[in-house]
This record gives sequence, structure tokens and C-alpha cells, in this order.
Amino acid sequence: MTERDSIGVALSGVRKSFGALQVVHGIDLTIRDGDFVVFVGPSGCGKSTLLRMIAGLEEVTDGEIAIKGRDVTDLDPSERGIAMVFQSYALYPHMSVRDNLAFGLKMARTERTEIERRVGQAAEILKIDHLLDRRPGQLSGGQRQRVAIGRAIVRKPDVFLFDEPLSNLDAELRVSMRVEIARLHRELGNTMIYVTHDQTEAMTLADQIVILRDGRIEQTGTPRDVYEHPVNAFVAGFIGSPRMNLLDAEWRGSGKMRLAGCEMDACLDGLRPGEGIVFGMRPEHMRVVANGPDAVQAAVEFTEYLGGTRYVYCKLGDGQNVVVELREGDDIPAGSAVWLTAPREHRRYFHASGARIG
Amino acid sequence: MRTRREIRARKALRDRVAFHGVGIGTAFFFLAPFGIGFLASFRPNSESGLPPLPPWPLSGISFDAYRILDGFGSGVWQHTMNSLVVSLGTVVLTVAVSVLAGYGFSRYRFPLKNALFVLIIATLMIPFQSILTPLFIILARLGLNNSLFGLMLVYVTLQLPFSVFMMRNAFDAVPKEIEEAARIDGARDLRLLVRVLLPLVMPGIATVSIFAFLNAWNEFFAALVLLSSNDNYTLPVLMTAVRAGRLGAINWGAVQAGVAVMVVPCLIVFLLLQRYYMRGLMAGAVK
Repeated sequence: MTERDSIGVALSGVRKSFGALQVVHGIDLTIRDGDFVVFVGPSGCGKSTLLRMIAGLEEVTDGEIAIKGRDVTDLDPSERGIAMVFQSYALYPHMSVRDNLAFGLKMARTERTEIERRVGQAAEILKIDHLLDRRPGQLSGGQRQRVAIGRAIVRKPDVFLFDEPLSNLDAELRVSMRVEIARLHRELGNTMIYVTHDQTEAMTLADQIVILRDGRIEQTGTPRDVYEHPVNAFVAGFIGSPRMNLLDAEWRGSGKMRLAGCEMDACLDGLRPGEGIVFGMRPEHMRVVANGPDAVQAAVEFTEYLGGTRYVYCKLGDGQNVVVELREGDDIPAGSAVWLTAPREHRRYFHASGARIG
Repeated sequence: MRTRREIRARKALRDRVAFHGVGIGTAFFFLAPFGIGFLASFRPNSESGLPPLPPWPLSGISFDAYRILDGFGSGVWQHTMNSLVVSLGTVVLTVAVSVLAGYGFSRYRFPLKNALFVLIIATLMIPFQSILTPLFIILARLGLNNSLFGLMLVYVTLQLPFSVFMMRNAFDAVPKEIEEAARIDGARDLRLLVRVLLPLVMPGIATVSIFAFLNAWNEFFAALVLLSSNDNYTLPVLMTAVRAGRLGAINWGAVQAGVAVMVVPCLIVFLLLQRYYMRGLMAGAVK
């Protein structure tokens, strides 16, 4: 095993219940050392709980958590070799920035010169040297988040944990901090686990994305993997913005399916004719074509113009909604009828239960 | 010709005069009793029976009243020390207990938590005079009657419901993440409480301290019932004892001097802590 392939964090059979309510159902996950892993999922999917269990802030009901091969399941948060950045920054408001950064080291009874050296180093990395004597209340949101990240850096942890760290920042700052975090990961090379519900953050930052739903892992893979090869309709619908069009259709047999009264080609087998399937097409893969075979008719409802691209919102004959992303071509007036299709290699098919079938 | 600017200036002046006039008037009503009492305490003995107005001494300043006050019992210093010991002791004990209890009620989950809390708050509704007899008996059994420590314990008991309530609210207002960040940083238990949380609940502690101090300092009834020997009297009890002048007349001069002495520590405590106190009362009023 090379250094790169060694295991950073390993979860096995991790469960969490609050009373009778089970919120995390047996998670098995291995994170390579140095990877940037993002947990995404709708709210209430257990991603924050999972992160807090890794941090030691939430007790594990069942299962085991190991960091760098060391079982930390029952260790105190400060003994796990982790550092965490919170959504609300969670700085100590009564301490200066310098004391905020140094607090963890003081608690660990680190030597004074060493504390100074590490605080200086962290401040330099994050460009907050000039703020060291201020109180958190005198800082802007972006500066506070830097201090929070700095507090994590000085601990020299094996694993960085981020709990939606950018959600409290405005859109512009969020982009620049995102780039900053990516740079930090490249420079420090530590394992980082990042929880977010923002897909852009997930897609841009992650080496590995873990998609969670209802306390279970739906899919793990690189951003490209989960985007291009979703294992089920949930992942397909969750990753991508605007989301993939998932349309109820009916399998007719012999390579054909029926969608809103129109026949389209579908390369599937093993299904009984008349069985319901879910047909998925991403908005950016869809095209408007002249009346033709292998396309579905839709009525344009309205168009959003975003400069570089347009989102055309359409309704099929049976009332299902479809979003089409068009980068060029003429404007399509609302109310007009169009034919929509997508290249075969970009069509995804799912069983009515959600599982991918083609 | 009056320009718009002049009209505006006149209106602003009128508003300011009205605003400060009302303010000064209100302040006068609040400050007058203190002023009258303070001035009257410097009247000579012969004037002490005169009507309160004019309040100032007519035939030169005299310290007769203070001499009488000091000549009574074991001297005013002794009684002031009694009061200080009881009041400061009450503050320390109340803060120590209510910080721990408030933290517990705010952060831990345990069975019957809400019922217990309501029970504690409910004791606020019992007039303490009604439990004075049982308290007296309990203290007597413990051998703490006629002792300042016993009185202190009674004051702490009376002060705790409000204080626990206040401290729970103070801890509730501290975001949980700060505590979690501190736990990750390696601060646990008492160190967490002292290094991280205590500075954040200072307004609550100041409020609790002020209330505990003032209530213990000014309390009369329990002190009168529980303290039986002259030496142990706190200032409020001393004041009623010193009041009695010759032939059943009331020695107002000594009373005024006592009031003047008693007000000073209250002022000091309040001025020291008022910055936090204001914040404490406002905490949680608006997010």
C-alpha cells in the first residue's frame, strides 16, 4: 500500500438512534488519506449527524470509527486528531483572534514559543496576520470563517471536518472561500470531510462525493461518476442543477417506450411490455427538434434567460414538467409547441422503484 | 422673514427643552429622597425632630447622628461588616450554585427536567414569610440560629429560584457550537465552564449578583427573626433598634445616618456591575 492509498477514516456499521428514532442506518465507508470527501444529501439525511459522530460530538449507537487505523469510537473529540469548522464559525467572542487560534494548543499545554509559531503560520496561510488582536465581533463574515479555519489548522489534525462552513456567507464570498478551501487542501494535503447541501460546493471541491438519503449511503464516487453514472433515480435527480428530468414512461417492448403519448426509442431489455419506467434526461443534453420520430411533444410555458444560457420550462401532453437548457438558437415564445429529444448515450432509465436499469 | 431652516431649528430646540425638562423632572423625584435623607443626616441632635423641609441643617453641619449610630450596639463598623459578610457570602454561594444549576438545566437531558425546573420556579410564588417558622426550626436543629452563616443560607435559598432561572436563560443564549468547538479544542468540564462559558454568561452572573447582594443587604424580616444577639445584627435590624429615641420618640437623625451608610455599598455594587446588568436584563429580549 502506498502512502496515497492508506486509509484516512474508516466507518464500519455506524448507526445512530435518538431514542427510538434511528437516523443513521449502518454506514460503511472508507476514506483514503488525503482525500477531500463531501457528504451531500437533502436536509435531514443524517450527513451532519455522521460528521458529528466522526468528530465525537455525537455518540455512536453502534459500529466503529477509525482514524488513521486507530479506533476512536469512544475517544474524546480532542483526542481524535480532528478539527472542525462550524457553519456559525463558533469563535470564542470574548477572546482576540490570536487567543482563539491558540486556545486549543493552550488546552493541550503546548509550549508558548510553539504556540506562537503555529499561530503565526496559520495566520500567514489564511492572510489574517493583521487581524490577530481583534475580537471576532469586529470581523466580517469571511474573516470570521478564516479564523475558524485557522483554529482548525493550528491543531495540525489528521482530518479536517467542515460542517456547511460557507452557508452563512454571501454568494460572492462563498465562491472565493470555496477556492480558498480547495487551495488549502492542496497545500496541506490532509484528509478533509465536508458536509454541504450545495451541489456546486460538492462538485467543485470533492475527490469523492458521498450521497446520503435517510441515513443511508446512496452512492459514493468521483463527481464525474455520480453525475454521469447515477446508480438510481434519487442520485440522478439530486446531483445536477437544474435537476435531471425524470419522467414517467411506459415500456412497450421491442426497443420502444411511450412517453406522454409519443413513441421514443429505449434500449432496455428484461421488462414486460406495459411496465412503468422512469426516463431521465439532463436539461443540458436535450435538444429541440423539428417534428420527428424519437421525440416527445411539449408546450413551452416560459423561458429564463441567464445570459450564457437559457432554461426553457415545458409541459408534456400528460402534464409532466420538463426543463430544457439551450445555449444557442432563437428564442421560443411561450405557448408554442416543440419536439424534444436527447442523444441516446445521454438517456438514463430507471425502474419504477428507482434503481437504474439502463 | 422666517426661513424653513429657522423653523426647523426652533422646533428642534423646543423638542430638546421638553425632552430634558421631563427627564430632569423625573430624575428629581427619584433623587430627592436620597438628597433629603443625606442632608438631614447632618442635622444636629436638636434639629432632628424638625419637619423634613427644609432638609438641610440650619445651624451648621454636625455629626451627632453618626455618633449616635456608632454608639449603638457594637458600633456601626461591626454591623456593617456583619451585613457585608452575609451579603457577599450570599452572592458567592448563589452565583456558584445557580451557575452550575443553570448550566445543567440548559445543557443536560435528564428525566423530569422540566418538572423540576417548574418546581423551582414555583417556589417564587410562596411568600417567604410563610416558611420562616420552619426555616427557623431547621436552623435551630442545625445549630445555626443566631449565626450569620445560617442567615446567609436562608438568603441563598430565597435567592436561588430567580437566579437559576436567570442563569439557565443565560446559558441557553450561548450557541451550542461554541461549547462544541471548545470540546474539540480539548476543554472539558470545569475548564470548559470557567475558560469559555463563564465570560459569555457574565451579564447573567452580574444580574444574579446584584439581585443577591441588594436583597441580602436590605433584608430585614428574616434577620430580625433569626438573629437574637445584638452583636450579630445586620444594618437593617440595627436601624430599627437605633430608631428608638428618648421617651418613645423616634430619633430621625440616627435613621437618616443609617440610611446614608446603607446606600453606599449598594451604589458601589450597582455602578460596578451595571454595564453587565443592563445587558443581562435585555438578553434574549430581541434576537
